[in-house]
Amino acid sequence: MRSNFTTELEQLRLQVEVMAVRVDQNLERMRMVIDRCGSELVAVSLSADDEIDAMNVSLTERCYDLLRREAPVAADLRFVVSVLRVLSELERIGDLALRVIKLDPEFDLLTTNPVTYGILVDMANHVVDQYREALRAWATLDLGLATDLATKTRSMDLYYERLTTELVRLDGPNAVRLAMGTFAAGRSLERIGDHAAIIGARLRYLLTGDPEHLIAEVR
Amino acid sequence: MTIESRLDALAANNPQDDPSVAEPLPPKGDVVFDVRDLSVYYGEFRAIRDVTMQIERHHITAFIGPSGCGKTTILRCFNRMNDLIESARVEGSLTYHGVDLYDRAVNPAEVRRRIGMVFQKPNPFPKSIFDNVAYGPRLAGAKKTDLGDIVERSLRRAALWDEVKDRLKSSAMGMSGGQQQRLCIARALATDPEVILMDEPCSALDPIATGRIEDLMGEIKAEYTIVIVTHNMQQAARVSDRCAFFTTEVNERSDVRTGTLVEYDRTEKMFANPSDERTESYVTGRFG
Repeated sequence: MRSNFTTELEQLRLQVEVMAVRVDQNLERMRMVIDRCGSELVAVSLSADDEIDAMNVSLTERCYDLLRREAPVAADLRFVVSVLRVLSELERIGDLALRVIKLDPEFDLLTTNPVTYGILVDMANHVVDQYREALRAWATLDLGLATDLATKTRSMDLYYERLTTELVRLDGPNAVRLAMGTFAAGRSLERIGDHAAIIGARLRYLLTGDPEHLIAEVR
Repeated sequence: MTIESRLDALAANNPQDDPSVAEPLPPKGDVVFDVRDLSVYYGEFRAIRDVTMQIERHHITAFIGPSGCGKTTILRCFNRMNDLIESARVEGSLTYHGVDLYDRAVNPAEVRRRIGMVFQKPNPFPKSIFDNVAYGPRLAGAKKTDLGDIVERSLRRAALWDEVKDRLKSSAMGMSGGQQQRLCIARALATDPEVILMDEPCSALDPIATGRIEDLMGEIKAEYTIVIVTHNMQQAARVSDRCAFFTTEVNERSDVRTGTLVEYDRTEKMFANPSDERTESYVTGRFG
């Protein structure tokens, strides 16, 4: 029995969960920025993102070490390569959340258009829910939750289409700045949804071993 | 037509020479050995039971499993090496291109010429390099004038020619372990077999020599069918096309252990997503 190895895999899974929670905290800060109910969140979010990046490097190195040392196969191999993929997705989600948070000074303007701003708020709420489902699916290794994530992405695509449709209708003296800011935020939210969906697809692959699920990762 | 000439016709894949074969032999890629419900006994003890599998031509098939699960026992059935053990007997069916290998009319020596074997530890004869390779062809009646060509061809196929061509008359015992094992492969190839059975051929070799043997297996599989027993999971994953996982079943009342075939599939599948939980546990190192 390779009990040490089994313990290491379990620890790795928990560490990924811890990193995912850090990302979740930044997503919540992102939502507060969009809802205009938080202030001076940029600095704390930047610091949190540095921690997320450091965890990504450290856990990636741990995966490489496990691959080198243990040469895992079957479910263990799928787990380690899936962790590598999930780490990369979490890191990207963290970056995208930060990108929206950095738009904080623009949001006073972005709120002036209730239609586009309303879509952004809906997108943020939806994507945070979607991310949390991905996190729950990972924590519980739940195939049903991971499968549900695939449908949530389609809702994000619809929001994004509505947003771009509304943006081309904008006019007035601040239309360009408003459109650019709203588009940047909307685009980041849509991408976060895609990355959360990839976590679901990777989890489905991990649990079933069916390479068909990897197709969902192709962007 | 004798069994031997029938085997000749079959191995040459030339069924029109063999009136007893109704259908043309399938081309490359098809079944060499067809094993049905094969059990092997040593006296009253059943070492392995009810193995059913097909070994495909020009494939490398790896047998994996914990110690004592019967991998080597099954391997030795393929060229009737178990005949050398007095108490051993086989039940079930094992055919080679449709010919029952255990038919009374089949000459075991002829079977072993067609189905060569390489053992765990290199076992060169205490003779020259040349004589080691020429040993089998000489026994089979090869002309003296042909021996030089046969030896060179076999050593080249075993990727050993360049290293030994200037010292063919030297003793094989002075070669390194890796070279000795490749010499044994050359010796097996010299009788022009169709199948090579390998029983843990790299277990006594260092990683460099192991790598050379593995490369060699990849090179010669276009011409030969290879079946290998290995305890090295990574080796099985690296070299084989198909993989068979054997394990041991324990009768709780009598504590008798019997080997059994658990899963047989593409190697890629066996090491990425095996169907049976026991295979998963074994290849991931959680059991065995």
